Amino acid sequence: MGSVVRSAVKAIKEKGFGSFLRELRDEGYLTALLDGNLMQTKIHNIGATLVGVDKFGNKYYEKLGDTQYGRHRWVEYAAKDRYNASQVPPEWHGWLHFITDHTGDELLLLKPTRYGLEHKENLSGEGDQYIYHSKGHSLNPGQRDWTRYQPWQPTKA
Amino acid sequence: MTVLQACEIAGVDIPRFCYHSRLSIAGNCRMCLVEVEKSPKPVASCAMPALPGMKIKTDTPLAKKAREGVMEFLLMNHPLDCPICDQGGECDLQDQSMAFGSDRGRFTETKRSVVDKNLGPLVKTVMTRCIQCTRCVRFATEIAGVQDLGMLGRGSGEEIGTYVERLMTSELSGNVIDICPVGALTSKPFAFKARNWELKGTESIDVTDAVGSNIRIDSRGPEVMRILPRLNEDINEEWISDKTRFFYDGLKRQRLNDPMIRGPDGRFKAVSWRDALAVVAEVIHQVKPSEIVGVAGKLSDAESMMALKDFLNKMGSNNVWCEGNGPSPNADIRSGYIMNTSISGLEKADVFLLVGTQPRVEAAMVNARIRKTVRAAQAKVGYVGPATDLNYDHEHLGTGPQTLKEIADGRHPFSSTLINAKNPCIIVGAGVFERNDKDAIFSVVETIAESAKAVRPDWNGLNVLLLNAAQAAALDLGLVPESGNSIESSKFIYLMGADDVNLEKIPEDAFVVYQGHHGDRGVYRANIILPSSAFSEKEGTYVNTEGCAQTTVPAVPTVGDARDDWKIIRALSEVAGACLPYDSLTAIRSRMRTVAPNLLNTDERQPAIFSYSLKPESRQEMSTVPFGTAVENFYMTDSITRASKVMAQCSASLSKK
Repeated sequence: MGSVVRSAVKAIKEKGFGSFLRELRDEGYLTALLDGNLMQTKIHNIGATLVGVDKFGNKYYEKLGDTQYGRHRWVEYAAKDRYNASQVPPEWHGWLHFITDHTGDELLLLKPTRYGLEHKENLSGEGDQYIYHSKGHSLNPGQRDWTRYQPWQPTKA
Repeated sequence: MTVLQACEIAGVDIPRFCYHSRLSIAGNCRMCLVEVEKSPKPVASCAMPALPGMKIKTDTPLAKKAREGVMEFLLMNHPLDCPICDQGGECDLQDQSMAFGSDRGRFTETKRSVVDKNLGPLVKTVMTRCIQCTRCVRFATEIAGVQDLGMLGRGSGEEIGTYVERLMTSELSGNVIDICPVGALTSKPFAFKARNWELKGTESIDVTDAVGSNIRIDSRGPEVMRILPRLNEDINEEWISDKTRFFYDGLKRQRLNDPMIRGPDGRFKAVSWRDALAVVAEVIHQVKPSEIVGVAGKLSDAESMMALKDFLNKMGSNNVWCEGNGPSPNADIRSGYIMNTSISGLEKADVFLLVGTQPRVEAAMVNARIRKTVRAAQAKVGYVGPATDLNYDHEHLGTGPQTLKEIADGRHPFSSTLINAKNPCIIVGAGVFERNDKDAIFSVVETIAESAKAVRPDWNGLNVLLLNAAQAAALDLGLVPESGNSIESSKFIYLMGADDVNLEKIPEDAFVVYQGHHGDRGVYRANIILPSSAFSEKEGTYVNTEGCAQTTVPAVPTVGDARDDWKIIRALSEVAGACLPYDSLTAIRSRMRTVAPNLLNTDERQPAIFSYSLKPESRQEMSTVPFGTAVENFYMTDSITRASKVMAQCSASLSKK
């Protein structure tokens, strides 16, 4: 807790109180007040190194030294209200889960340009329009006016 | 008899790939190896004649080992793509490797691959799967009569192919799909559409020509997925023509699904059945009975033709006929319009005289029978008509009726061949029905038959080859117009699926009702459209060209608001105030029994009782106009085949001319 106060005081001294508050708002600290999970991440961030930011705006932090091994890499999601693990793109997944020590920016260079697909987060539960339905699925928009025969069109007569 | 056939009679199932009972014996797959006592090696049972006292062992360790070895060799170069193979589930190689194969192989090298061949729009080839059984080659040369397929190369370089880059130009080519024991030849329109175990089979009848081939309609849910032949030794053996096999996609296109009325602006508007029938009933009462005309289409079933005739008779008109039967059909003497020899009986003939008929395009299965006879018994074929390509040796005698006259007078060299024949067979095409001098032609043909003794108590060789599925039943039911040109003076025309009537002859002010299942030629002249169900969606009786009544069975539900043909007419009769006295299929069939009892004798050929000798003398003069071609395009003959995309592809790429 001491470090939090210390860094806050340091920031106020450097930037002045008004800009400090603005920064707090921009960085999402005000929403974090209601979200303990996010709050903890924010506090965790203090003194950590920002390793990279992916194209969605998720920030990847690392702190070696006084953190427990295995908890020294984490992500602060770009979305402050609706975040989940599927928002991490594959290139950062490996770094985040200690599969590799290469950061996502390094791995992105290996991504095949010809057939590599854009990462999409899992939108389950967000509404049927976001979810892929196969051709035969009753929720597939193509399914609804699908007919097993093609009627004769009288307008051509 | 071979050892394999002997074992079959004894009830022992011997695995085989190259052996097919209707094809010549090749003996090259070696799968049918059995042990024969006192023989040092296992023998190929399909090629070994069975001898008296032979001791055949089919389940000894030697036979088992031999089969496992052969199977291992076959699987060596066979790809492991059963999960994506269309033959999967009905594959002989799959089944037999499960039953007779070893449970492991020793093959570790790479498999051979073969370039796929393009056999046209119907047959898909994956030649890597081919096991070189040569069934398709033998089928093409022996039954289809085309020398298109052959074996190239030797050893592991051996492959089936067309010698040069060309398509398979046979009207029976689809049958190679059935006889191929593996997935090398599969159906192109059916490729990746369904698995065979998902399909529901419905045993039905083909209506695209007058042969009435027995078919199995395989459907999944409401869709016809494919059509396969059904065994009927008397009609189609186990083959069907390409038109029968592949026209089914026409059943899904251009369908009429709502009753429609043409408004004053010339546009069609969908209406309810109640309104549509009320309009028809109103108009039919406004015209004179003699101005009412009914035409049954070439795909009509006997039930609906009965209902149409009864209804129009009740309205006071007797101008009802079936298209293709000509202006003055002879419905009185049944032997004058059916194939009296019967299709299977053609095999006993030794001389054929084809008059104005090209059986290859008019009735491919009849043509296959003639070819079989020509091949097996060296029967001679004489042909009168426009030059055509029959796939067997034939003598082109002439093009017009004067050649017939010469044969009748004995001035033609072919007449001695006919007279010396034991079982002469004369086949007159139904295209002759449309000629004005048809009575004269028939009387000349009868003279020829007389001199050749073609009609005897033990042999009736005077035949008519019909063109359409509805023709024979229409004549059995007596659908004969009062006058040949009633259409020109008509005010009310009821077209029951009739698309090939001359629509230009219909007067401008005539009210045309089109009842049918496809938006084909007829609808463009129609004032009102009543949608009906296609043959795959209804129960109906059809009589084929040899006089055998057969019934179709509904395989799939009908589309939209369409109804069975006879039900529409029954409903219309009630609205028009002349209610027909039948409410069910049984009732309408008992009505048919009073008119033509043979229609109720299904699956049994009813031969004609009286011969042509009862016919009144014809005093018509024969014209010199040469015979025409009745079927211009084999692949597109009726409203369903004209709607089919596959048939359009076929006629674009395969039709000669």
